[in-house]
Amino acid sequence: MSEVNYDYKTKELPKSVFTTGIALLIIGTVFGVIGLYLDTQRFLLNYLLAFALLISVGVGALFLVTLEYVAGADWSVPIRRVTEFFSSTVPYLLIIGIPLLFNIGSLFHWSHPEAVAEDKILQSKAPYLNTTFFIIRFFVVGLLWTLFWFLITRNSRKQDITKDQVLTKINIRYSAIFIPVFAITISVASIDWIMSLDPHWFSTIFGVYFFAGTVLASLSAVTYAVVKLFENGYLHPKITKDHLYSLGALLFAFINFWGYIAFSQYMLIWYANLPEETFWYLNRWEGMWIYVSLILIIVHFVVPYSVLLSQPAKMDPKRLKFAALWIIFAHLIDLYWLIMPNYHAENSNPWVYLLEFAFPMAAIGVLCIVFYLSYKKSNLLPLGDPKLERGLKFKL
Amino acid sequence: MKIDYSIEAPAIEGRLSLSQIEELIAKPLDSKPDKKFLLALSISGSALALGALCVLLTFYYGIGLWGNNQPVGWGFDIVNFVFWVGIGHAGTLISAILFLLRQKWRTGIARFAEAMTIFAVMTAGLFPALHTGRPWLDGYLLPYPNQHNLWVNFTSPLLWDVFAVSTYFTVSLVFWYVGLIPDFASLRDRTTSKIKKVIYSIFSLGWRHSHRNWQHYEKAYMLLAGFATPLVLSVHTIVSFDFAVSIMPGWHATIFPPYFVAGAIFSGFAMVVTVLIFVRKIFDLEHIITVNHLEKMNKVILATGMMVGYAYAMEFFIAWYSGNPIEQFVFINRAFGPYYWAYWIMVSCNVIFPQLFWIRKFRRNIPLMFVISIFVNIGMWFERFVITVTSLHRDFLPSSWGYYTPTLYDIGILIGSFGLFFTLVILFTKALPVVSISEIKAVADGAQPSHHGEGGH
Repeated sequence: MSEVNYDYKTKELPKSVFTTGIALLIIGTVFGVIGLYLDTQRFLLNYLLAFALLISVGVGALFLVTLEYVAGADWSVPIRRVTEFFSSTVPYLLIIGIPLLFNIGSLFHWSHPEAVAEDKILQSKAPYLNTTFFIIRFFVVGLLWTLFWFLITRNSRKQDITKDQVLTKINIRYSAIFIPVFAITISVASIDWIMSLDPHWFSTIFGVYFFAGTVLASLSAVTYAVVKLFENGYLHPKITKDHLYSLGALLFAFINFWGYIAFSQYMLIWYANLPEETFWYLNRWEGMWIYVSLILIIVHFVVPYSVLLSQPAKMDPKRLKFAALWIIFAHLIDLYWLIMPNYHAENSNPWVYLLEFAFPMAAIGVLCIVFYLSYKKSNLLPLGDPKLERGLKFKL
Repeated sequence: MKIDYSIEAPAIEGRLSLSQIEELIAKPLDSKPDKKFLLALSISGSALALGALCVLLTFYYGIGLWGNNQPVGWGFDIVNFVFWVGIGHAGTLISAILFLLRQKWRTGIARFAEAMTIFAVMTAGLFPALHTGRPWLDGYLLPYPNQHNLWVNFTSPLLWDVFAVSTYFTVSLVFWYVGLIPDFASLRDRTTSKIKKVIYSIFSLGWRHSHRNWQHYEKAYMLLAGFATPLVLSVHTIVSFDFAVSIMPGWHATIFPPYFVAGAIFSGFAMVVTVLIFVRKIFDLEHIITVNHLEKMNKVILATGMMVGYAYAMEFFIAWYSGNPIEQFVFINRAFGPYYWAYWIMVSCNVIFPQLFWIRKFRRNIPLMFVISIFVNIGMWFERFVITVTSLHRDFLPSSWGYYTPTLYDIGILIGSFGLFFTLVILFTKALPVVSISEIKAVADGAQPSHHGEGGH
C-alpha cells in the first residue's frame, strides 16, 4: 500500500452550526411544550413525527455506512465521516423516545384494556400489541442500533491512528450482520410506532415503505452536508463533482424506489378494494387530507424526480443542495401524512396548527448539534481507511 | 485469507493480451462442434422433443389433459411462466443495472446472462399462450380495432403481462444486439469463411471501430441501460399483480411486487451461476469469468435470498397480525396442510441453504455453489407452486376442497421447457461470442490510462 501524504488538515466548523442547533432545539421545544399544553394528543403525535425523523436520519445513516462496507464501495470512503456524524444520532434515540413511552395511553388505541375488551380484532393482536412488549421492543431495537453504531464508528475512528486493515475486515463483518438486523428492526419500529397507530390496519409492505423514506432522509441529510462542506472548502481537494454525482444518482434511485413502493401499496389496496384495508387510505382522502395526499405525490416524487433526472443536475452543487433539502421536507410531509390522520378530535383553535413546526424544528436542531459535536471529535477524512486513496481518485 | 482492501481486484485475471482475449473468445465459433457438444445438444433436444409432443397432444385434445381442475384452475402453466420470467431477470439486471452502477466485473458475465434472459423470456411466453387452449386465437391478445368490436380486458393484469413481457423482451433483445455489434465487426474482420463474412457484415451494420462509432455506441448503450432498468422491475411487478390484485388470501399481499422482483433476481442469478460454472470450464474462460465473479454473484444470491426470506416472514406475521381468520388459515395450511412438503422445500432451498454463503470459503467453492444454485432453482420453482396451488386448493367452500396433482403431460411440458431453454443456450455458445470481446478488452489490465496516469508511481 502506497503511503499518501494527504497534506490536509480538518478545518474547524463554525460555532454557528452549534448555536443554530441549540436555538432551534430550544425554540422548538418551547413552542412544542406550549402545543402540548394546548392540545396534548395532537402534539404527542407531533413529537412522534420528530422522533420518526430522527430515526430516519440516524439509523438510515448507519445503514448507509454499513452498505459501503458490505458493497465494497470506494467512492464514498472520503465522505463516509459525514454519514457517520449523522449516525451519531442513534444513541440519543433511546432518550428521545422515552417521553413517548410515558404517553403510550394517549397515542395508541390498542393500549386501552377497555377498548380491547370490546374489539375482537384487537384481542387477537394483543400478544403483540401490548404495553409491556411494546416497551421491551423499543429498548431491544434501540440497544441493537446503538451497539452496532458504537462498534462500527469506534473501529472506523481507531483506524485513523492504527491504519490497520483488520479493522476494515471486522467492520465488514459487523456491517453484514447489521443489515439483516436493520431490516427486521426498522420494520418492527415502523409497525410499532406508525402502523399500530391505526391498529386495525395492516400492510405487508409497510416496513419497506418506511425503509425507503429512511434511506432518502439520511441520504439527503448527508448530501446536503457534503455539498455545503464541499462548497466551503472543508473537504479534501480531490473530492470532486464526480463524488457528488454518485450521491445525486443514489438520491434519484431511491426517489424512484420510494415511488415504486408507495405505488405498489396503493395500487394493490385500491384494486382489491377490501374494506379492511381501504379505510386507511379513505381516512387520508377526507377533508384537507385530500390535498396532503395529492401534494405528497408531487412533492415526494414528481418534483425530485424531475429535478434530479438529468446528468448535470446530479453533479451541480446548487441543484443537489436544493434537492436534498426538498427531500427532507418531503419526508416530513410523508411522516405527517402517515401519522397525523390518527388525530381524531376536533380542534377549534387554529393557532394550534401553526405550532406544528415546533417539534420537527427541534429535531433538526438535534441533528445540527449532533453533527457539530461529532465533527469536533474526529477527522473529516477517514485517514487510515485502506480504500481512501481509491476513493479520492474516483472518476466517473 | 488476507485481502488487501487498498487494491481493486482486477476484472479479469491472467494478464491476457488483447489478441489473446479475442482468440480465446472467438475460438468456439471457429472450431467444428465436438462430441461433447453434440451429446449435450442431443440431451436437451430430446427433452425439447418430449415437450413438443406433449404440447401437440394438448393442442389436439385440449388442456383437459392437464391437472388443472376445480378448485385449482391455475397449475403448472402459471407456475412455469412465473418461474421462467424470473430466470429472465438476472440478465438485464447484470447488463443494465450493474452497468449503471459501474460494476466492471459484470463484463465477463453480461453477454451470457443477457442471452439467458432472452431464451428464458421466450420459454416463459409459451405458457400463457398454451393455457389459452386455442393459441391460434392469441392474436386477440393485442388490442386493435376490429369488425367484431372485440376488445381485450384492460383491467386485467394478465393483459398487462402481455404488454410488460413483450416490451421487456423487445428491449432486452435490442440491448443484447447493440452490445453485439462491435463483436460482429471483430468477427467479420477475422473470419476466413465467405458465408460467415457476409452474415457478420450484415449484422455489424458497417461498424468500423472508429471513435465516432464508439461515441454513438456508448450513448446508445447508456440510454438502453436506462430504459431496461425500470423494465426489469416492472415485469415481475406486473407478474406479481397477476396474483396480488385479486382478493384471494395468500395472493393479496402488498409486499408482492418487491418480493417477486427480489425472488426473480435470486432465481435468475442462481441459473446464471449454474450455467456459467460449465461454460467457463468448457471454453477455458476461467481467467475471464473468474472465481471472484462467481463469489460476487453468490453474494447477490445470499442478499436476495434473505430478502425473499424477509417477505415470507412478513407475510406470515401480517397474516397473524391482521386478525383475519381466513388469512391466518391460508398460511397455517400452507406450512402444515397437505402441501406442507412443498412449503418446506421452498423454505429450505431459498432461505436455509443459501445461508452457507455467509462463509467466504463456501462462496468460492465451485462444487458447493453448483449444488446451492440448483437448490435455489428448485426452491424458486416451488415458491410459485406454493403461492399458486396452496392458496387455491382449499377455497372458501370446504365441500369443494381438493388436491391438485399434475398429469404426465404437465411434467412433460415442464421438461420440454428446460429442453427449449438449454437447446437455445447450447446453440448460442456455438453461434455467438459468449463473452463480449470489446468490453473485456476495455477492462483488461493496461487498457485504462488512468491506471498509470496520475499518482500511480
